[in-house]
Amino acid sequence: MNGWLAAACALVVGGLGPSLWGAARGTTGRRVVAQNMATLLLCLVLLLLAQGYGRPSYTDLALVVCVLGPAGTLVYIRLLGEEIEKHPPGARLLTPAVTIGAPATVVPLCVATGPGRAMAKLLVIGALLVAGGLVTTRALRRG
Amino acid sequence: MGDALDDALLAAGLLLVAAAATAAALCRDPARQAVLLSLLGLGLALLFTVLQAPDVGLSQLAVGSAVTPLMLLLTVRKVRRRKRHE
Repeated sequence: MNGWLAAACALVVGGLGPSLWGAARGTTGRRVVAQNMATLLLCLVLLLLAQGYGRPSYTDLALVVCVLGPAGTLVYIRLLGEEIEKHPPGARLLTPAVTIGAPATVVPLCVATGPGRAMAKLLVIGALLVAGGLVTTRALRRG
Repeated sequence: MGDALDDALLAAGLLLVAAAATAAALCRDPARQAVLLSLLGLGLALLFTVLQAPDVGLSQLAVGSAVTPLMLLLTVRKVRRRKRHE
């Protein structure tokens, strides 16, 4: 029984599914929030998959997602600013998801990989995720 | 047991891609469609990774989740601005 893969599967079904629902229905602001949530969850899923398959090089994908995700959300906020201001979205779930989800995934992975370069990479990804989450939440609140 | 999990992940990825693609095709507003297209890109990247092709997933991430929606949004913005001027 591979616990990492099971956790990744649970995150896909329970996390990415609802984000897709949020992005398909609802106001423009809510769609942007759902898209940002999806990038965060996908980053965590890719980290879990890399550990589950036993291929540390797969973490590169998570690194790309955690850089591109917040950047994409900022682009949406910049270009759809007027529509988002009309119906400001609730971003209540975003901050707890980042501050709890990122450490809850990265710390067990760090324990599993042990000290070394791979662990430094994981910590960088976790820090980028938290920083990106905070920046996008602030940008969404300001409109 | 590992095989069952692989199948479950594969099924979840396929369902996600099918649902995102259907939603993107049914959406009529281009700006909202851009958000759905970026989610479709994320889903495809996940699917490629589950199928053990992370290199394809990497390029799919860059193109599908960043470049395509950005180009769509820039086009929508330009068209709307031109309409306002006329």
